[in-house]
Amino acid sequence: MHYLLALILTISSFAATAHASDDACDNNTDCIEIGRWDIGIALGYGTKSNPLKDFDDIPLYAVPTIAYYGDRWFFDNGNIGYTVTEGENYTVNIVSTFSTDRAFFYRWDPSNIFLLSGNGVERSTGMSIMDTPAEPVIDSNELKNRNFTYLGGVEAFLYTRFGIVKASVTHDLFNVHNGTEAQLRWLYNIPLDSWNFEFAAVLDWKSEQVVDYYYGIRPSESPYWSEKYQAESALNQSIEFTGQYVLTENWNLLLVARYTDIADEIVDSPLLDTDYTTTYFVGAAYRF
Amino acid sequence: MTKKISLCLLFCSSLSGYTVAEDIELLATSLSLSPKICITSKDEEICNVEVVLEWRLLQERSICILSDYKELKKWCNSSPGINSLAVNISADKDIQFVMIDKDTHETLAGVKLKVTQASSPQVRRRYRNPWSLF
Repeated sequence: MHYLLALILTISSFAATAHASDDACDNNTDCIEIGRWDIGIALGYGTKSNPLKDFDDIPLYAVPTIAYYGDRWFFDNGNIGYTVTEGENYTVNIVSTFSTDRAFFYRWDPSNIFLLSGNGVERSTGMSIMDTPAEPVIDSNELKNRNFTYLGGVEAFLYTRFGIVKASVTHDLFNVHNGTEAQLRWLYNIPLDSWNFEFAAVLDWKSEQVVDYYYGIRPSESPYWSEKYQAESALNQSIEFTGQYVLTENWNLLLVARYTDIADEIVDSPLLDTDYTTTYFVGAAYRF
Repeated sequence: MTKKISLCLLFCSSLSGYTVAEDIELLATSLSLSPKICITSKDEEICNVEVVLEWRLLQERSICILSDYKELKKWCNSSPGINSLAVNISADKDIQFVMIDKDTHETLAGVKLKVTQASSPQVRRRYRNPWSLF
């Protein structure tokens, strides 16, 4: 939590000196033209680290983006939403989204599609998940399906001079795990001439059902671990940075970085061998 | 005292009679423009349009049209019977036209062509960073 506090203090002090515009639509990352598809692709290199044992990191070579906003409905990189009410300082949306946890298990999870990668999620061959030699082994190839599901709920934005605060609560729509997720996000945008910097601090809460579905062990996978590891609700903490330099009307240089501190309740799962995950991407982005 | 008042009334009535007649003539004088607004395209900032100026006068007289458009600094009708003028305009800002009496240079009427750019596309807030990493 200390790094979150440090980040907020650092950015707040910078924000006091930065000359950020009051206009909500002062650059193309904030606003989008109504009734027009926004399609783009970023080409470059990056990696999304995989905290799962025996699963490879995910290399990133291309990051697509696709969005369409109507007067109230919107589609944004797989998220579908409807704006219930909006004012100068707030927005309330009904929204559907998807969990990020499944992406560590499956290459073609939607989360990974928007991180279009080369080899994707592959299990390392000849390895097995084990904690200590004395404890039973979980064969990663024998893991049962972790199915895809959509989450639906409500999100609210508050637009303040100290940045944007987003709060959301979503619940499993398809009875896959019947879990709930909640998110609190603070982000600050600093446009400076041709540069744009976006900082974000995120708290992601996952209910016990979500944690158990993705990181719990089924009895068929390992009777021992299904007893020993008992999932609990968990709170992940992340910091994100997106830096863009506008080259032309269509081309931007792009640097994206994210660090997530995974909650102890999830790290305790025998499926994990690190307590964090990092993502970075450096490249050039083209907007059609 | 009565004599002074009578003189004043006589003078004032003759003066007001002159003003009223002049006002009536000015009210009956008009200069119209069609179209009055030119909307430029989204890509081009120049407005290209043919406009028609028409004027009505209580009595026929020679007039001149003045404007701040570089191609039509001053135009005067060759005969009092002409009461319209077509002008091809290529401009990026408003143009003011003024009609004056050719002989007395009295300003009779005025009209403005408004040059407006096509409205900007409607935008709204985007709720996701396009390059957010899930």
